[in-house]
Amino acid sequence: MEEALVRAVLFGTPILLASLGALLSERGGVVNLGVEGMMALSALGAFAVALEVGPVRGILAGVGVGSFMGLFLGLFAVVLRANQFVAGLALAALGLGASGLLGKRYEGVPLPQPLPEGGLALVALALALGLHLLLSRTRFGLYLRSVGENPKAADLFGVSVEGVRYLALALGGGIIGLAGAYLSLAYRPSWTDGMTSGLGWVAIALVILAGWHPLRAVLGAYFFGLLFFLQFRLQGSVPIPAEAFAAMPYLLVILVLALSGRARAPKALGQPFDRGR
Amino acid sequence: MRRIGVLLVLALGLAWAQGDGLKACFIYVGPIGDAGWTFAHDQGRKKAEAALPWLETRYVESVPEAQALPVIDRFVKEGCQVIFATSFGYMEAVLEGARKYPNVIFAHATGIKRAPNVATYMADFYQVYYLNGLAAGALSKTGKVGYVAAFPIPEVKRHINAFTLGVRAVNPKAQVLVRWINAWYDPAKAREATEALLAQGADVFAFTEDTPTVIQTAARKGAYSFGHYTPMLKFAPDHVVSGQIVHWDVIYIDFLKKVREGVYTAKNLQNVDYFWLLQHKAVEMGADYGVPINPKHVPLLKKAEMTVGGKKVSVYDRIMALLQDMQSPKPTFDPFTGPIRDRKGVLRIPAGKKATLEELLTMEWAAPGVVGDWPGEPK
Repeated sequence: MEEALVRAVLFGTPILLASLGALLSERGGVVNLGVEGMMALSALGAFAVALEVGPVRGILAGVGVGSFMGLFLGLFAVVLRANQFVAGLALAALGLGASGLLGKRYEGVPLPQPLPEGGLALVALALALGLHLLLSRTRFGLYLRSVGENPKAADLFGVSVEGVRYLALALGGGIIGLAGAYLSLAYRPSWTDGMTSGLGWVAIALVILAGWHPLRAVLGAYFFGLLFFLQFRLQGSVPIPAEAFAAMPYLLVILVLALSGRARAPKALGQPFDRGR
Repeated sequence: MRRIGVLLVLALGLAWAQGDGLKACFIYVGPIGDAGWTFAHDQGRKKAEAALPWLETRYVESVPEAQALPVIDRFVKEGCQVIFATSFGYMEAVLEGARKYPNVIFAHATGIKRAPNVATYMADFYQVYYLNGLAAGALSKTGKVGYVAAFPIPEVKRHINAFTLGVRAVNPKAQVLVRWINAWYDPAKAREATEALLAQGADVFAFTEDTPTVIQTAARKGAYSFGHYTPMLKFAPDHVVSGQIVHWDVIYIDFLKKVREGVYTAKNLQNVDYFWLLQHKAVEMGADYGVPINPKHVPLLKKAEMTVGGKKVSVYDRIMALLQDMQSPKPTFDPFTGPIRDRKGVLRIPAGKKATLEELLTMEWAAPGVVGDWPGEPK
């Protein structure tokens, strides 16, 4: 039992971090479907730097790569007003492809000093709490939410919609980058192509499941972690096929969404803001 | 200056003279950087190219199975005389390509269908798994050995069974706890499956997955493990005991030489099937190249004893003797020699008989000692 709870938290942590990052920009009205690619490339950046100059700077590199990719998404989603869904999917593909290409030389190289997962799990929890306070208690949080709900009104009140969205993408990207660094420096201290193996997509689903609320994302992420562990812990000892266990998280998402009614998304989510119109 | 010009002319002349070289092309299912299946095939390609001066190679990686035929078309246009297709799923595309281009030679890895210009080949690990099973049985204190398995197909089942027979030969009461992740490559699933097995008391691990995740996870809790497919000692120098290592180059060099010498043509491959084992040097038992057993664990295995033919012998000596036997040109020992019953008590291999190639390739039953879900288990 204790083991299952520990696993729930440790495996839930990268999902939690990635969904916090996506959640931050989505509260500001920018959909981020690039999470998987952002995680992959920051995992590589973190690993490469950790190998050369140590794990702490590796984390910073992961966060930096994530932030940069967040800003890159902003270039298309905020400045050029491109379709956010298409831009996000392109970023996912780009990140996965580029990390595979650039990461070839790090294949099969072990990391001498892996980071403790427990410490990073606490950081993730603190970030969730901090994000909640940021959104609900600070001026920036108010601006961010108003930009996500009604950018026109925010603009009239003198809030820079583009500036706030850019900042949210950079901060959110940094948190997603931390998720990538967690994977390659702590959870599985080595690098292989495609090592994010779909966690970014789970994180995107979790944002919706959590109703764009950071604290609910914590519960959701740990719940995913628990299910994932139990899938293997119970395999063979209960008469349920392994495939059914593997499908369980996704079935549960659908079930919870159906039961909870429509989770309310930020009203301006996915809509590019153009002052002229 | 003039000397360089002369050299240049010479080099050009040499290139010209080598015009009767052979061009072999490879279709890979994954990225070369997967550190597993495709990586190993590409190592084989490189080694073949280095060993055979007349050989020129090309490859395309990450080819989805539905895209294999267009790649074959392209290869043929580029003048490929031999095409290696390295995934089971390429089977139909290869057969169709072979009909379309009757003068091109095809070889299909892990394939089961052949044609006049299509051969099949495979480097198989089941003997090595048996030997690693002996070591695992000797090292487990809890009597629970963990196995993180990819897909429930005959190849993987054959390997788990051979491994389990080895474990039980040393410790007749031991269990091999199997967990399926239903993926060839999924480090997150491999990690959590290993954690689940650790929580259930497993203290030695083997696996089929294309990353060193199981090894790294087991080592954190001080559990022993066996590497898979490529040398993985460096990921946990104190905990990797041994492992299975492939050498596709042995098959590639043999095949290409015979094509070059005219032994293999586009008309006589109907019965050419490589199922190469330890004796052909297509596979190796080891934690690293040339390291059959991690020296750190040799004393433990020397101390451990097992009963062979009523006599007590050290597990280490038994492993080394069998390894030597199976590496010799005429092996006398095979792990799948009867009588072998499955875990339900059904006699699968009669006393004194050796499993046939057909039986090995279609194995669905589970050996006694295997614990866990076993999709497709015969009644």
